[in-house]
Formats: sequence, structure tokens, C-alpha cells
Amino acid sequence: MPFLSHGSYRIRYELDGPANAPAYVLVNGLTQYSELWAAYRDALVARQFRVATFDLLGQGESDKPALFISQDDQVAALHLLVDELGDGPIFLAGISFGGLIALRYAIEHGGRLTGLVPMSCFAELPPQLFLLGNALRTALILGGTSYLQDLLLPMNVSDQWLGPVLDQLDSVKRQGWLVNDVYALQNLMESFLDFRPLTSQLSSIALPTMILNGEFDFLTPRSVHETLRAEIPNSALVIIQRAYHAFTLEKPALTADLLARFAEDVLAGRWQGNKTVWIAPEQAGGELIPFPAGYDHLRAIPVQGPAT
Amino acid sequence: MSEFFGPLDPQGRVPPQQQTRVAAFLASAHGALARQFAIALPAKLVSAWQTELNAQVYHEAEIVSLLLRATSWVPDLALGYLSVSWETAWFPQPTEGIPDQPLALAVGLATLAHAVHAGIRPAALLPREANANDPFVMALRRIELESGRLLQAQILFLKGPELLPHRDAISAALEHRHAEIRKLWTDALEGVGIAVHES
Repeated sequence: MPFLSHGSYRIRYELDGPANAPAYVLVNGLTQYSELWAAYRDALVARQFRVATFDLLGQGESDKPALFISQDDQVAALHLLVDELGDGPIFLAGISFGGLIALRYAIEHGGRLTGLVPMSCFAELPPQLFLLGNALRTALILGGTSYLQDLLLPMNVSDQWLGPVLDQLDSVKRQGWLVNDVYALQNLMESFLDFRPLTSQLSSIALPTMILNGEFDFLTPRSVHETLRAEIPNSALVIIQRAYHAFTLEKPALTADLLARFAEDVLAGRWQGNKTVWIAPEQAGGELIPFPAGYDHLRAIPVQGPAT
Repeated sequence: MSEFFGPLDPQGRVPPQQQTRVAAFLASAHGALARQFAIALPAKLVSAWQTELNAQVYHEAEIVSLLLRATSWVPDLALGYLSVSWETAWFPQPTEGIPDQPLALAVGLATLAHAVHAGIRPAALLPREANANDPFVMALRRIELESGRLLQAQILFLKGPELLPHRDAISAALEHRHAEIRKLWTDALEGVGIAVHES
């Protein structure tokens, strides 16, 4: 199991796939760990990508600083991993908290990347997200990791995913509960206490950028993704049908296919973001559909959009 | 070596030898915290934050009481020398780099409590098939949950504005305490066939 060194801390990472191939770096969400990307490793390696996964500081097998973790440290850890990948094309994808770290990396080191995929991501903390974040932190403090998982599961995945596992939720939660320590999760959450919005810096991201947002994500709803789409010049917003915040867990085949197609399009010179809005297919391999002209993609009912 | 307790008996109970070793370690650590918090607790509270100190004393004592009653105790010859090393480790250690001695001692106690509450996860040793209705199993789950709550006092104190100028000293002392107590914990468990997964 290889590790990178950031100061006195160790960051566990893994590289899979051909060494000279274009690389995908995948960044975990807050309560995740790198094994959760296993299906992506398999799918992307099969499409001739090199895949880099790692545990952020405070997660999984990486060191867990006892009291202070800053988001700057996470960006620095990601930078160390990118340095391991050589000079070839590098695509960076991150989910939720990991999406935020990916955004920050792209702002600071965009020249090192070929493409960016923020998923269930945000550049600022509007009141609903701020209050939800605070409430989730309180849940962690009062009820431990298990209670936090109890709250996140119904927020993050659909009834279709939950239904078949409803009588075995303890098993579903167990690995996440084992690898996540309360203090480390709390430190990660408290790295937002001095959070500054990134919105004003998003326009500096010149990369091809595919923004992925679950249709029914109410933790990070369409409006927070819209900020990314509006500010990142070469971006497109892709709405994942019938998906919630953690669609990377629920729809790995579809999401991995979208990641691969995005990178293939960028490498072939076919990608044109143009701040467009798309609807992802229901299944991997299907066609992306342009969001119907004239309708407002920020609404949940078919309301005419503002004239452009 | 396993990462979990076992083999469990047919009723899903943890082997008494493992219960004894783990309960002895936890009783030693939480007992030391109870004593040190009790000494720090004034007879008359003068600040709001001291209400938390009062709570810590009694929750630590509750954990010890719970372990005494929920554990299937058996003789463990190694406890003689192990408990000496544990009790020595809990001695008050003023944190280096903080010139105000009372404050350095308070920080030292907080780092010990943080390391015990945050770094020791006894419920994570329970295998999936452990009997949820067994008192020892329930006790470990309760201790781990309660530790997460008790930990908040240490986090608030150590991250508080009063200690901001000493952040580097606190970080160093805390990481040292965590490593020290993690080693005691892993050594204690290895003696009864449990290998804690290092992260």
C-alpha cells in the first residue's frame, strides 16, 4: 500500500491502469474512502485510463490529524498525488467535499490538468447548505458516525437503492463506520469554519469542465451547480436523471461512462462546453440530451426560462 | 491475529480473557481521567465552562462503573506489568512550549482525554455477529458513543481562542499523546490475539 508524505502525515493512494495512459484522479466525498471507487477503477482502466485514488487526510487509511485539518492541506495532498502521474493528460473528478477540493486544485494548479469534473459540488455555502452542514455536524457530535450515516443515507440515495437493503442497513453502514473516526470527520467538517466562497475565482478555470448534478439532489441542489456553470467558461452542466447527492455510489456504471466519454471527447478535440445544459442518459452508453430550449433547468416543473 | 474480538461463544459473547484485558485498559484510562478531572474540579464553580468539567468527572466514573459490572472478569497475569505501564502513562504531563504552568497542565490533561476519547474505539473491535443484548457488547458501544460526546469538551478547549497562540505546541503534544496511547492500546490487544488496524 503506497503512501505520500505531507509534512509528518501519510496519504494513502493507489494507481491502477497503464502507466502512460491519460489519468483520472478521483477525490472522495466527506464520509468516503477510496475503495468506494472500485467500480470506477475497473471501468476506466478497461477504457485505457490510468486511475489514481486516495484517502484524504482524516479519511480511511491516510493519517488522521488529531485536531486541525485545513482544506489547503487537502489541496497540497492532491498536488502530491498529481505529481506522481507524470506529464500526460490528467482529468480530475471529485464528489461533494472532494469536488470542492478538486475545484480549489483547478483554481490553483489548472495548468496541470486536462479536464475537470465537479460532481454534487458547490463553490459557496448558501443558507440551506450552511444550515444542513451545521446540523450534520451536530448529529455527528451527538450521535456518532452511525447517526450521521442514518441521516445521509436517505438524503443521498434513492428509494430504489435503499429498498432492497433496508433490512441490512447495519451491514451497508459498517465499513464506513469502521474506517471513519468521529474526531477525524469532525475535523473535516470544521475545515469549513473558515470557508471562503470560490465563486469569484471560478472564471479562472480555463479547463474543459463537465459538472454533474443529480436530478433530485437537495443537499447540493441545481442552484449551487448553476454557479459553477455560469462562472466556468468552458463548462457544461449534465443532470443525472433520478439521482440524488451520492449518484457516484448509486450509478457507477453510468457515471464512469460519462467520465470516460468526457475525457475521450476532450482528448479528441470534440469537447465544447459553451455553458450548455444536458440530461444524461438513464443507462451507460446512451445519448446525452440537450436540455429543452426555452425551459428553466433550475425549476422542478416545466416553466419557461428567462429569455436569453 | 484478528482485527476483531473472537472467536465468540455460541451466544455471541466475547471471550472472557479479551473482555478482561480490554475492560482493564479502559477502566485504567477512564479512571485516571475521572481522578484528574475531579482534582481539577473546584468545590464552587466560578465559570460556565466548569459545568462541563463536572459532567466529565461523572461520565468517566460511570464508564468505570459500567465496565466493572458488565465484564466477565478472569485472571490475567499480564495485567500486573501492563497496568503499571498504563498508570505511568496517565501521569499529568504539562504541555511543553506553554509557559503558564496551570494552563500547560490543563492542556496536558485535555490532550490525554482527547487521545482516550478519540483514539480508542472499543466498539470497533466487535465483530458483526456479536450479541447486541450482551452487557459487555452494549457497554463497549455505550463507551464509544459517550467518548465521542465527552471529546467535544476537549475539542472546544484545545481549539479555543485562548490557546490560539500555542497551536503548534498543542498539535505536537496531541499527536504525541495519540501515538503513545494508541501504542498502549495495540500492545494490550495483541496480548489477547487482536491486531488493531493501523490507519
